[in-house]
Amino acid sequence: MEPLIRASGVWKVFGPKADRIVGTPDAALERAELREKTGCVAAVRNVSFEVLPGEVFVVMGLSGSGKSTLVRTLIRLIEPTAGEISIGGRDVRAAGAAELRDLRRNDVAMIFQHFGLLAHRRVIDNVAFGLEIRGMPKSERLSRAREVLRVVGLEDAADQFPDQLSGGMQQRVGVARAFAGNPKVMLYDEPFSALDPLIRRDMQDEVCRLQVETGQTMVFITHDLSEALRLGDRIAIMRDGAIVQLGTPEEVVGAPADEYVENFVRDVPRSQVLTLRWVMRDPEPGEALDGPRLDVGTIVRNAIPALAGSERPVLAVDDDRVVGVVDRVSVLEAIAGEGG
Amino acid sequence: MSGVVAEASTVVTTPALSHRPWWRGQPVQVALVIAAMWLAYRALRLEYPWPSRLAWETLQFELDRFQVWLIEQRSAEDKNVVFAVFDGFRALIDDLVRWLEELLLWLTWVGTGAAGTLLVWRFGGLRAALITLAAFALFALTGLWAESVQTLALMLAAVGLSLAVGIPLGIAAGRSRQVARFLTPVLDAAQIVPAFAYLMPVVILFSVGPAAAVVATMVYAIPPSVRITALGIRGVPVNTVEAAASMGSTRTQMLTKVQLPLARRMVLLGVNQTILFALSMVVIAGLIGGGGLGAVVNSGLSSTPSVALLAGLVIVVMAIALDRATEAIAERTDPARRHLDAARLRIVRLQTAAVAAGIVVVIAAAKLAGVGSTYPAAAGVRQRTVTAQEWLLTRIQSVLDYVQDPTSWIFSVTEPTGIFILQKLLLPLQQFLVEGPWFTTLLGLTFVAFVVSGLRPALTTFVMLGAIGVTGVWGLAMDTLSQVLVATLIAVVIGVGLGIAAAESKLVSKAMRPVNDVLQTLPQLVYIIPFIYLMPVSIVPGIVAGVLYAFPVVVRLVERGLHDVAPQSVEAAGAFGATRRQVLTKVKIPLAGDAIMLGVNQGIIMVLAVVVIGGLVGSGGLGYEVAQGLVRGYFGQGVIASFAILALGITLDRVTQGTRKARKEGLG
Repeated sequence: MEPLIRASGVWKVFGPKADRIVGTPDAALERAELREKTGCVAAVRNVSFEVLPGEVFVVMGLSGSGKSTLVRTLIRLIEPTAGEISIGGRDVRAAGAAELRDLRRNDVAMIFQHFGLLAHRRVIDNVAFGLEIRGMPKSERLSRAREVLRVVGLEDAADQFPDQLSGGMQQRVGVARAFAGNPKVMLYDEPFSALDPLIRRDMQDEVCRLQVETGQTMVFITHDLSEALRLGDRIAIMRDGAIVQLGTPEEVVGAPADEYVENFVRDVPRSQVLTLRWVMRDPEPGEALDGPRLDVGTIVRNAIPALAGSERPVLAVDDDRVVGVVDRVSVLEAIAGEGG
Repeated sequence: MSGVVAEASTVVTTPALSHRPWWRGQPVQVALVIAAMWLAYRALRLEYPWPSRLAWETLQFELDRFQVWLIEQRSAEDKNVVFAVFDGFRALIDDLVRWLEELLLWLTWVGTGAAGTLLVWRFGGLRAALITLAAFALFALTGLWAESVQTLALMLAAVGLSLAVGIPLGIAAGRSRQVARFLTPVLDAAQIVPAFAYLMPVVILFSVGPAAAVVATMVYAIPPSVRITALGIRGVPVNTVEAAASMGSTRTQMLTKVQLPLARRMVLLGVNQTILFALSMVVIAGLIGGGGLGAVVNSGLSSTPSVALLAGLVIVVMAIALDRATEAIAERTDPARRHLDAARLRIVRLQTAAVAAGIVVVIAAAKLAGVGSTYPAAAGVRQRTVTAQEWLLTRIQSVLDYVQDPTSWIFSVTEPTGIFILQKLLLPLQQFLVEGPWFTTLLGLTFVAFVVSGLRPALTTFVMLGAIGVTGVWGLAMDTLSQVLVATLIAVVIGVGLGIAAAESKLVSKAMRPVNDVLQTLPQLVYIIPFIYLMPVSIVPGIVAGVLYAFPVVVRLVERGLHDVAPQSVEAAGAFGATRRQVLTKVKIPLAGDAIMLGVNQGIIMVLAVVVIGGLVGSGGLGYEVAQGLVRGYFGQGVIASFAILALGITLDRVTQGTRKARKEGLG
């Protein structure tokens, strides 16, 4: 499948003469050394990735890892220093002001950590804002806004002002505003970090639901690993401006690329993330292969009932072909490895 | 902004405590320099005034000749393009002011009062409307309606033009860093120039008349509107701007749909400040053809003091009413705070329509009934009138008589205070600066600048003071300097004391606020008037007025500085068992040192602005020269003194900036 978003070799360097850093030996310096030597800060360092249509692509990292800068370079809210970016076949970096505006108006919508709502407008006018600046007539955009508000469950708040709503509701307005324009790509910049945990979970469910319903492509920035694992089809883990690992949730948890990622995923309940693929072993010679058959992509935890109900090991199956066996010992080992 | 940048900036800034505080070590050096100057003064007193070899003595006459040439050029048949442009501009502003005044008169006094009150009621609420009504009532009862309207027309023109220049500049500065970087030093410069210093140049360009008054007012009133508008635009939350950009807003859409609506309250507060700044120029503008209340004050100063005081009172009330009205309007019409639903919106629209209709009806009725254009000061044939002018003037006069009566209680306070300031502070310092050898004074002040602020301010000081000497006003400048220093000393002592008290006690802070507000609202010259009569010694009124004008700013900065001291430091000191006094002297005051220094810096400039105005009422020094230049047409003399005031202002500003790297009241 043709990727919808393609970023390759993207750099963002802040500071004096930032454009002269990329391509020199200085670019290879550690962040701290670079700052010491040149006064520049490399926020994003040589980042490449592709996002397929309909995919939820999560970028995860601690604060200061450059993830928010990265997502802003995609639509040039922050001008990248070097690299190539294309969205839906459009060369973003080469786009002129008008084309960039067109991209932002029609193809991409962004949701912000601190909502970025217009305090002087009612909720419905906030939701209609994107349509308004495209030049859509008033009655049309208001009816579209009302429709979207219904989808996020805020139709009753249409005439209220942002500061009359709770944080969770404000972010729903933010989501509705982004949805109103039917974008191909949604960029979420730590959208739920400012919300309390219960609301956060609700909102994550909401986002999952909307994504399934609309099939939109999402780039989702977060510093919360459990959020990343919950939502992401693939996860890119960033540190000091660079991607240190890019893979599916189970790849990240099952095979951390380095110590940094390992520290991150150490506390993850592995049985809830890993699939049978990660705990299965080859059948021993002469072992009876008549236990329950489960798809190799089954989450370990979901295999426990089958395993508990059978004396025999579970058979991991890929397209009707047995690729391995999973017995109680391997599952227990996987669970025992959690938190240690 | 990305987290990375924020993090970077926090790492780069070094904590304030790492450098040596400005007062440690420096007082000793400054004291040594002054001791040396004093020895030289004792030994060589009066022997070395500024040498005539080093003075450009014919400058004054050259300037006078230049003025004659200017007048000839201006009245010539075929005018130079420059003069044609300036004359056209002058005629335009003159017409604007005249037209506004005629409009306010045409509306009749009933119509003008009703329109003003109703408009303020609609947009600013009942309280502000009542204050406005009271102000109009005072205009009428004092018998100064015509003058008040004249001043209002001048204000409308000056404020309107200031905003027409200031708001676009402020928007540009708020949106573009380059523009802000370019404008900041210009605005800083405009702020340190005392109004008295640019009256002469304005008169040269526009000659005496309403246009000159408007332009002089604009020079003073534009900077706050630029600054506050820029602050407002920059204060729009970054993520809101970013969100609008992410949706593909054009720059125009960003401005009209996001930045301006969200900055609206700040922009309106900028209007409020612009009005207050403009109003504080009324009296000064009266000197160069502004007319109205300012002219009444100026002529009253020399002939009938009670009339000057009465007009001053009207100006103050006008300032308070305009302040409250515009502030209320700014607060109440902010769409981000006032949430109008459909029903409320309908009511508001109805109110607007009713107010508009009401204004029209009142004006029509007034015209039909033949109401006069101004409130009749005396009873006419067909009209009966009520004025309190006589009564007010008698009261004011009796108060004046009382404070000037040597047997009165108040006289026994003011007289010794005035004499103390004069004998113990002013005269010794004046003699020290004026009569000391010129070279030790010049080098000594330069060295003090070097110790306090560094090399560049020292060079500035040397060049500026040198220029003052060369233009032949060394003695006058030193006279003015001595007045400024004494007034600043008093203002800082009072200001720091009250500032500490206000920071330590909520009660004091609360009590101080209205006093500060009122003192800040008063036009500069209005301060001086009462003290001319309270302080019988001629130089002292200017100084007392300067102190009153400047000390609230020092109080505010000191209070804020002490409040901003990190609570952790205070808590930590408390945890070690420090007493409240120890916390104050060992933690808070040292940490708030920069704020105190900033207070001195701002205070000294404000003092200078007022002290030179004192020249109008006999304080001598540079201010007197400018006053003579303006009032009597001693052109060259006035221009030189104006320049010297400017040079002195720059010097004082640079020297008191201290080691602070960044000025805290910048655009960003």
